[in-house]
Amino acid sequence: MHHEDDQGPPVLPRVAVGYTATDAGRSAVAAGARLARALGADLHLVLVVPDTARGAVVPPDPGYEAVLRSSAAAWLEEAAALVPAGVLASTRAVRAESAAEGLLEAAHEVGATHLVVGAGSERGLARFGVGTAASELLHSADLPVVVVPVLDDGARDAPGDGPGDAALSRVTVAVGTRPGADVLLEEGLALARAAGAPLRLVSLQVLDLPGRLDDDAVQDTADAHLRAVLDEARAAVPDALVEEALVVRGRDVTDAVGGLDWRPGEVVVVGSSRLAAPHRLFLGATAARLLRAVPVPVVVVPRTRPAGGPA
Amino acid sequence: MSATQQPAQQPAQQPAGSPAPAADGGLSSKGLSAGTVGLVGAVVIGLSCIAPAYTMTAALGPTVSEVGYQVPALVLVGFVPMLLVALGYRELNRAMPDSGTTFTWATRAFGPWVGWMAGWGLVAATVLVLSNLAGIAVDFLFLLLAQVTGNPGLADLAGNTAVNVLVCLAFMAGATAVAYRDMQTTQRLQYGLVGFQLLVLVLFAGVALYRAATGEPGSEPVSLEWFDPTAVPSTAALAAGLSLSIFIFWGWDVTLTMNEETKDPDRTPGRAATVTVVVILTVYLLLAVSLLSFAGTAETGTGLGNPDLQDNAFAALAGPVLGPLGALVSLAVLTSSASSLQSTFVSPARTLLAMGHYGALPTWFAKVHPRFFTPGNATVAAAAVASAFYAVMRVVSENVLWDTITALGMMICFYYGATAFACVWYFRRQWFDSVRTAVLTLVCPLVGGVVLAVLFVTTLVDSTDPDYGSGSSVGGVGLVFLLGVGVLGLGAVLMVAQRLARPAFFRSETLRRSDSTTDLRPASTDREHA
Repeated sequence: MHHEDDQGPPVLPRVAVGYTATDAGRSAVAAGARLARALGADLHLVLVVPDTARGAVVPPDPGYEAVLRSSAAAWLEEAAALVPAGVLASTRAVRAESAAEGLLEAAHEVGATHLVVGAGSERGLARFGVGTAASELLHSADLPVVVVPVLDDGARDAPGDGPGDAALSRVTVAVGTRPGADVLLEEGLALARAAGAPLRLVSLQVLDLPGRLDDDAVQDTADAHLRAVLDEARAAVPDALVEEALVVRGRDVTDAVGGLDWRPGEVVVVGSSRLAAPHRLFLGATAARLLRAVPVPVVVVPRTRPAGGPA
Repeated sequence: MSATQQPAQQPAQQPAGSPAPAADGGLSSKGLSAGTVGLVGAVVIGLSCIAPAYTMTAALGPTVSEVGYQVPALVLVGFVPMLLVALGYRELNRAMPDSGTTFTWATRAFGPWVGWMAGWGLVAATVLVLSNLAGIAVDFLFLLLAQVTGNPGLADLAGNTAVNVLVCLAFMAGATAVAYRDMQTTQRLQYGLVGFQLLVLVLFAGVALYRAATGEPGSEPVSLEWFDPTAVPSTAALAAGLSLSIFIFWGWDVTLTMNEETKDPDRTPGRAATVTVVVILTVYLLLAVSLLSFAGTAETGTGLGNPDLQDNAFAALAGPVLGPLGALVSLAVLTSSASSLQSTFVSPARTLLAMGHYGALPTWFAKVHPRFFTPGNATVAAAAVASAFYAVMRVVSENVLWDTITALGMMICFYYGATAFACVWYFRRQWFDSVRTAVLTLVCPLVGGVVLAVLFVTTLVDSTDPDYGSGSSVGGVGLVFLLGVGVLGLGAVLMVAQRLARPAFFRSETLRRSDSTTDLRPASTDREHA
C-alpha cells in the first residue's frame, strides 16, 4: 500500500475505478484501463464493502467479516487480472455506508482525476439502467465521473496489449444548448490531446414541443442559436483537432443521438446541470437521457473547477 | 491508508472464505473494527433477536399445556442452561470466529460427521423458526386488519389454508428479499420498534393484572407457588417445558458474543447481556404471571389451556384484555416478527455458506453476492426450504405453529448441546490452566450440554406418544417425534450423499480436527492452502 497522504500530489495521474464482481464492474475496469492508457495514468481499483455494523437488527459477526474480507481480496485479484499489460494497477477494498461515499473517499485519497463506474444494471432494453451507486455519484461527485455501459463479456471493449493500440479512438463533446461550456471543452480537449484522438463537437436539439415543429421561425432561431454555440466552441479549440462539428435533432435525446455513429474506444463528454452546487456534479435531465442512449462511456464533468484543483 | 485494523484475533484463525491471506485485501479500518456498537445498540440487537412479543405469543400456550401454572418457574429455570451454554459459545467464538459457528466448532472438536450433523441441527432449527415466525405474522396481520376495520370475519381468513399459505409465502418472499439485499433497518427506527414492543407488552401485562385483581371472571389470584419449579406435575412435563423455555431465550447469546465490535469490548458485552436478560426476564415473568392470572389454565374460552389458542396466545387474549387497544399487541407482534425474521435469516444462511466453503455442501452455497455482499444462494435456499416446510405442515397439521415450536425446542437442544460439548472438548487441554478456564470451558458448558442432551432425549422419547404436544399424529406416532427424527434423518441422508459426491470434507482435508492448544501454535494451520 502507498503512503502518500502527506507527500503532496502523486507523481502520476490516477484513474479510480469502482469495481464489483459483476459485468458492470468488469466493463468499468476495461473502460478505466483505456482511459488510464490515454492519460498515461495509473489505475486504482476500488471495491466498496458495505458497513455491516450499521444495522440495528443483525448482530455483527467477526466470522462473516472475515468471509467478506477474503471475498473482497479475491474479487480485486480478478479485477487486477483484467487490466491489460502496460497499465499499472493497484487495488483496495474500503468499507463505507454507501458505495458512492466509499468510492469518492478512495478517489480523493489517491488524487484521482477520474472515477469510472459501471452503469449498474444490465437488464432490460436500455443500455444504461444507471445503478444506485452511479446515480448517487452523478449527483454529488466533485470530479469527472465516467459511466460505462454494461456489455457482455465478449463485447467488452478493452484496449489491446500492443503498444500501438490507440487508447481512445475519438472524443465527442456534447456542447449543450447554451454558451459557457468551457470546462467541458477543456476536458474534451485534454482527453483528445492526451490520447492523440480526434475531437467531435455535437450539439443536441430536441424538438420536444409538438406545437413548435411547424413553426419555422422558432425552428430557425433555435437552429441559429445552436450553430452559434457550436461555432463558439469550435473557435475555442485548435482546428486541427476537430474532426467534425454538427447539430443533431430529434424528437427526444435518444432519437437525436440515434443518428450519430460511434467507434469502439470512443468516449463522450457531457456537463452536469447548472443546478449543481459549485464544483459538484448534478446530473441534468438531458445528460441523464444521454447516458441511456449512448453505447460508449460517458464522462460527466462538473461545470466549474475548484480553484487550484487539477486543470 | 494502509492502517488496517483488524480485530485482535489469535494467530491460527483461518475463517471461512479465506483462500490465503491476501496482502492487498485488508479492509481499511473505517467503521469496521472497534467502537461501532454501544451498550444501547447491543441491547437493542439482543432484544431484536429474541423478539419477546413474538416468542411469548408462540411459546406461552405450549408451555402452559405442559406445566400449567408453573410457567414463571420454567422461565426462571430455563434461563440457566441457556446461560451455561452461551458462556461456552462465547469462548468458542473468541477462539475461532467463523461464520459457520456450531458447524465449524463441532467439526474442529469432534470431526466432520458430528460437525455436519450439528450444523444441520442449527440450519433445521432456524428454518423451523423462520416458518413459525412467518406463520405467526400471518395470524397477526389478519387479526390487525380485523381490529382496525372492526370486521371480525377478517381474522378468520387466517384459518383458510390456501389464503394462509399464500400470504405466508408472500411474507417469506419479502423477508428473503430484505435478507438477500441486506437492507438494514436504521438504528433509530429499530430503537423505536423495540421500545414500542416493550411498552405494549408492559401495558398488556399491566392491564391483565389489574383486571384479574378486580375480579375478571375466570381469573386466578397470583400465587408464589407459580415460581416453584418443584411443583411441576412430572419430570416429563418439566423436560418438555424446559425445552420450550430454552426457545424463549434463544438469541440472547448474541449480546455476549459481540466483542471487538463494541465500543468497550471489556465491559459492553457483559453489561449488554445483563441488561438484556434483566429486561427479558422482567417482561416474560410479567406476561406469564399476568396472563395466567387473567385467563387461568381452563381448557375452554380464554383459558390458556384451551387447545384453540395454544398456537398464538396473544391473538386470543389481546381483545379480551385490552379491548380496542388490542390492535397495539398485534402491531407489536408483527414488528417483532419482522425484526426477528431479519436477524434469524442470517444464521442458517451463514452456516450454509460455511458448509459450502469447507466442502460439506456443494460450493454453490458458498457464493457471496458480488453486489449485496450477502450469502445470496444460501439465503434463497433457506427461504425455499422454510416456505415448503410451512406449506406442507399447514396442510398436514391444524396446529402447525404449536408443533413446530415444540420440534424447534428439540432442535435447539440438539445443536446447542452439540456446541456446548464441542466447547468442552476443544478446550480439553486448557481446562485446568486457571479457575476461569475451568469454569468457562469445562463446568459451565458441560453442565449446560448435559442438561440439553437430557432434554433432547426425553423430549424425543416422550413425543412418540400420539397425544404429545398438540395431539397431531401420523400413523399412531406423534407428529413432533416424526418432525424431529425426520429432520435429523434427512440430514443424515444428505450427509452420506455429500460424502459420496465430495469426500474431501469427510476426510478432514478442508477442516481439521484440533484443540485449543494446537491452534495456539503459530506454525499450525487448520486448512489446506489450495
